[in-house]
Amino acid sequence: MKKMEDIPDRKLLLFKSCMVSQEYPGIEKATKYLFDRLGIDYFVSEEQSCCTGIGHYVDLYGQLTTTAIAARNFAVARKCGYPNIACMCSTCYAINKEACELLNGNEEVRAQVNSVFREKGLEDLVYAKGDLDERTNIFHVLEVIFSKKELLTEMTEVDFSGLKAAAHHACHYYKFRPEDMIGNPENPRLIDGVAGACGADMLRWYEDRSLTCGMGFAQLHIHKDTSLKVTQTKLESLRKAGVELLLHMCPNCHIQYDRCQPVIEKEFGSEYDFVHMNIAQFAALALGADPYKVCGLQTHSVPLENFLEKYGII
Amino acid sequence: MTLIQIDEYDTPAGKSLAETIKASIRTPDSLGLDRCIQCGACTASCPAARFTAYNPRLLVKRVLENDRGVLEDETLWNCFYCYTCQLRCPRNNSPAKLVQVLRQLALNEGIGLENMEHFLGLGEFFAAHGISQVPEHYLGKMAEALGSSWVEFKRDLPAIRAELGLGSLDIRDERKEIRSILEGTGHFERAESLRARLKESGASEGIEENKFLNAIPGKNKSEDINLEKNGRYSGPEALIV
Amino acid sequence: MKASPEKTAAFICHCSGNISDHIDIRSLKNALKAGGISVFDFEYLCSSQGQALIKDRISRHSFEKVVIGSCTPSKHGQLFKKCVRDAGLNPAMLEIANLREQCAWVHPEVSEATEKALSVLKGKIRRLEKAEPMDAVVINIRQKALVIGGGIAGIAAALSLADNGIPVYLIEKNTSIGGQMAKIGKIFSPDKLAEECAMCSLSPLMNEVASHPAITLITSAEIENLSGSSGNFTVKVRKNPRYVLDSCVACSRCSNVCPVLMENEFNCGHKDRKAISLRFSQSVPKTYAIDPGHCLELGGKKEGESCGKCVDACRVGAIDLGQQPEVLELEVGAIVVATGFEEYDCSLKPQYGYGIFENVVTQTELARILGLNGPTRGKLMRPSDNKEGFPANNIQENKIQENKIQENKIQENNLQENHVSTPEVPKRIVMIQCVGSRDEKAGGNPYCSRYCCMAALKHANLIRKKYPETEVTICYIDMRAFGLYENYYRAVQDMGVKFLRGRPAEVIEKGDKSLVVRVEDTLKQELLELPADLVVLSAAMVPSEGTQEIARTLNLSQDESGFIKEKHSKLKPVDSSTEGIFVCGTAQSPKDITDTISQAGLAAARARAYITNSPRTLEHELASVNPLLCNGCGKCQACPFEALSLNENGRIVVDPLLCTGCGYCVELCEREAVRVTGFTAQELLAEIDGVLEEGDLLTFVNSGIAYLTCDNIGNSVLSYPANVKTVKVPTNLVVSLEMLEHAFKKGATAVLMLEDAPDNPKAETIHPFAVEHFEKLKTRLGENGKRLYFKKAYVPNTKGLAETFTLLAGES
Ligand code: SF4
Ligand code: SF4
Ligand code: SF4
Repeated sequence: MKKMEDIPDRKLLLFKSCMVSQEYPGIEKATKYLFDRLGIDYFVSEEQSCCTGIGHYVDLYGQLTTTAIAARNFAVARKCGYPNIACMCSTCYAINKEACELLNGNEEVRAQVNSVFREKGLEDLVYAKGDLDERTNIFHVLEVIFSKKELLTEMTEVDFSGLKAAAHHACHYYKFRPEDMIGNPENPRLIDGVAGACGADMLRWYEDRSLTCGMGFAQLHIHKDTSLKVTQTKLESLRKAGVELLLHMCPNCHIQYDRCQPVIEKEFGSEYDFVHMNIAQFAALALGADPYKVCGLQTHSVPLENFLEKYGII
Repeated sequence: MTLIQIDEYDTPAGKSLAETIKASIRTPDSLGLDRCIQCGACTASCPAARFTAYNPRLLVKRVLENDRGVLEDETLWNCFYCYTCQLRCPRNNSPAKLVQVLRQLALNEGIGLENMEHFLGLGEFFAAHGISQVPEHYLGKMAEALGSSWVEFKRDLPAIRAELGLGSLDIRDERKEIRSILEGTGHFERAESLRARLKESGASEGIEENKFLNAIPGKNKSEDINLEKNGRYSGPEALIV
Repeated sequence: MKASPEKTAAFICHCSGNISDHIDIRSLKNALKAGGISVFDFEYLCSSQGQALIKDRISRHSFEKVVIGSCTPSKHGQLFKKCVRDAGLNPAMLEIANLREQCAWVHPEVSEATEKALSVLKGKIRRLEKAEPMDAVVINIRQKALVIGGGIAGIAAALSLADNGIPVYLIEKNTSIGGQMAKIGKIFSPDKLAEECAMCSLSPLMNEVASHPAITLITSAEIENLSGSSGNFTVKVRKNPRYVLDSCVACSRCSNVCPVLMENEFNCGHKDRKAISLRFSQSVPKTYAIDPGHCLELGGKKEGESCGKCVDACRVGAIDLGQQPEVLELEVGAIVVATGFEEYDCSLKPQYGYGIFENVVTQTELARILGLNGPTRGKLMRPSDNKEGFPANNIQENKIQENKIQENKIQENNLQENHVSTPEVPKRIVMIQCVGSRDEKAGGNPYCSRYCCMAALKHANLIRKKYPETEVTICYIDMRAFGLYENYYRAVQDMGVKFLRGRPAEVIEKGDKSLVVRVEDTLKQELLELPADLVVLSAAMVPSEGTQEIARTLNLSQDESGFIKEKHSKLKPVDSSTEGIFVCGTAQSPKDITDTISQAGLAAARARAYITNSPRTLEHELASVNPLLCNGCGKCQACPFEALSLNENGRIVVDPLLCTGCGYCVELCEREAVRVTGFTAQELLAEIDGVLEEGDLLTFVNSGIAYLTCDNIGNSVLSYPANVKTVKVPTNLVVSLEMLEHAFKKGATAVLMLEDAPDNPKAETIHPFAVEHFEKLKTRLGENGKRLYFKKAYVPNTKGLAETFTLLAGES
């Protein structure tokens, strides 16, 4: 199990996510805002590419391609001197972790990836065993924020007391490498910890807490009905639990909940009166960040205005 | 370097399905495939099993019995890759990983190509932009479902990003590194051969023109918006109290 | 002490042709005589006439050293030793030349066998020139045992020791003995196919412990530290105050007036216990005790509060709030560790909702619910329906316990009463097996806990009998009802208990506190959501905190799960890693009551054998330290058996009970102060000198399994060349570079080191060192290293060994 004191706050490469960039850019801005406020030393590289996650998990890219792309991003991290990768997307986290494991543990893969680099004249990308450590160099942004949660409590400005919120932890964070996360993987409490530190009243348990968001990569597209059914199941248990806000940690989940909630309401004839946010957006709000200029809440499909008004933010 | 060599890593030839899966670089050495006790914890935990006819335990069983018919089982394409099975398996097996290898094996045999059709172009987009996006076909579907507000948002994205002080969507890749890597690891060949087989099989549904799509910027060529210099967040600090 | 040849005698046995048919005794005698040795031969030296002959000749001629050429020393070594001792010689002055198993029987050619016999005898004679008399080491073992842990294992071990005449201290950390078995209410009987009252079996044993003259029971006590050495342990015990004197008559007046109601650990945290109470009504000793953490007087509550009500209520003045802890020092010869298990913390598997949903309980908690002295007085109900609880009513309970016959009656009444199902009786119960067991995931345990399948069957059966309308479903992966337990399993199946093969994914709570178990019926391939009023988790057995602590305090090896590791799973199942400390019950591995009691009996028997073998004369080779040479550098303390320690004078001393004479320490000592008696370098060099001839294969043979295997080649009528010469060593660790160089100089073509295969505890320890030693010697020999070989000997592999001999002896 990962320990909180093992989470670095220096030399973090804030790993951009395609889905954050294209759907909820406020997550990135809110994360930077938090990092700045929390005094975290980070860097964003314009050379860092997509992790391949989307293509990888729709069965398009081979593991070797994915691993080579990751090796390139590791070289980016290395070259800019920010070797601690902090992902905003849980799939980036999983992809990078697995690629790093392979590069360190499988000589044949490493040799093959490096030979591709050499063949293409990209010597500077060559990966040497141990360049990065899958356990001590690859993190989810939430872990970093979680490790500073005492500071958050001190800095919180918005009074969220009485807010009933629930957490949805990302599958590719806690189910992918359960032995390498903070806390018990059967009951991840990172989001709860951060939101709790900001004053929210977190639901201890709800039915289908561990159910996936339903996106399932290709599933949302090739089996849309099942995909939405899963999401609806989840929304139903949240409704029963009477929450106002669902917090997540991955743009894929975010799309599934926020973008699809109105679609589900229409298709299943149900109505949900709760809203969605990434935990970084929520923590930034708590610290007094602007809901639009920092958290980018205008990009959401489920309008947050009532929520913001209720807590005196707008 | 040939295509076959690349395939070798995901689906290395083996005496049985189980041997191929264990030797695949997609699965760790510690995989408990042979240790599966058919307890059903995976199936009981699986969202796909809950809502469809898919059954990961059975899948493992069929793999262990070397039943190649499993490759033709359509439910194979129902897995969400959520890894809940892996989290729960008391033997450290991972049906989620099994399925990944099985789908590759199926594709090798030309099975399930129709599921891939609209994703096959992702590599091209990636090579051109350094990022990935939802394939156009599905963007169109999303536009249909989500309606004008989302389409408007997509149109406004550059402006919103600018307001948030975020840089270009595209990455800086002067040496065309992404393209080289996709090439070098055989991706384009793989995608091409899948595309060819798909055409052969006649299962292709083709891409229809979608009116919403044209409204969305950045879907084709790189439109560098606001290319900011490498570095820390340079946006307005005004909000910090 | 050097004897002239005239003072040395050789006795040669014909073994009625077994030896004399293959070896020319006459030429052997002549050759020896030519060297000035007196030689005698006889048909059967092991017969009483033969023994008389040996003794007679020794005393008549005042021989000082004796070689006997006969069968293997493993056969009559002890007998001949006694002979020479009777004749007034130190047994170290006797050497036995193995002329049968390792000569006559393996070399068909008479001339070759005779030649080899001569060299073997010569080797022994040369060796005797360097022999020094050995003082027998005599050890007195303390005639007392200590049993740690007062659960069923400790009780059984203590009673068995005491009944066999060994005085025993029994230490228990709680205020009463009884352990987990006291909690479980019922035990099942695989032959009567019924459930019996656990307390009715346990209670008499507990009382026997209390009244046994040979048992000193010390409760509320913990082990602080262990010192001394095997056979003579000193154990420091801290006895915590119970604040009630032995004069307590258990009238319960005190607890009736006590205002503090607290969580009862015995009833799985149910709030039904007073700050002054008995652990349970049948407690032994039957003396009340105060929980100082909760007692108002002893500082459990806020400033200014005081109480002391119990002191006033007690009519015999038994309450002493000023009692202080005591430290006792116990001197014992052997220790039995019986510190038991605890139930796995199911909240580590939150998917099953334990600790989150009220109506998810463990099997032990269910046992308490079903127990007549439990929180619901034996009535099956959901914890969520038992909000007010049943405040402890000790008076009533005491009355019940006063008379067992009466107790049984009440039990029957209760049974009848309960037959009428009340609305609160849960209608659907689902049991989940293997929670925390057979689970490779973090927080789980890879092993099977062995007891839980049977516990589930027992509870399911009990419930079905008492509440036929309640449906019980057991979700299992495999039902493990080993041996005759299968009969009980079948009987439970007949009772209509449902069995569902599948490991549940999760438990869900509904608004009315009822539950749903999500599981695949793997036999029907159906995904189910089983509704349940009560979910019972069959939690794993994990070593108790006490077990882990004791392992640390006593420095005992543990396995990766924390159980105390036995020396050998098959051969030494109750010996701990420390000589004289034994382990039994669930402190050693998960097991049920039957197995626990059997194992406790074995541990007691082993401890008793250890204690009663006193004074003990140690015959085996031992390390000895020359105090004049030893400078106390302590390097030899790396002894793998921990036999060497520094004494108060800064000199190394050998614990003869721990030393195996392996010789590992010999090389460690730079000052040559340590040696293995009977196997000094001088002795071995002399033997090599005598036995070895040009062109020979010299084999150093471990005196254990390896030597036995060499003998077995002879027993199996196999043969090998006569130029194979063996020299017996305690282990190959005593073989030095000097010996090897000497052997090669004398013309050995090759040298083989034959070691015991690591199949027994001693060899397991030695083997890696022996391999390391061999590799070091090989490098240091340089070119000759190529001719040094190492082989593991297994008893059944006689043929393989003979082939190796033949192969290597053929090399030149
Ligand atoms: S959970 Fe694991 S052991 Fe159980 S059936 Fe699934 S793969 Fe096999
Ligand atoms: S990864 Fe696939 S098989 Fe495993 S639980 Fe999720 S959907 Fe089911
Ligand atoms: S005894 Fe039964 S329930 Fe207990 S761990 Fe073994 S198989 Fe599982």
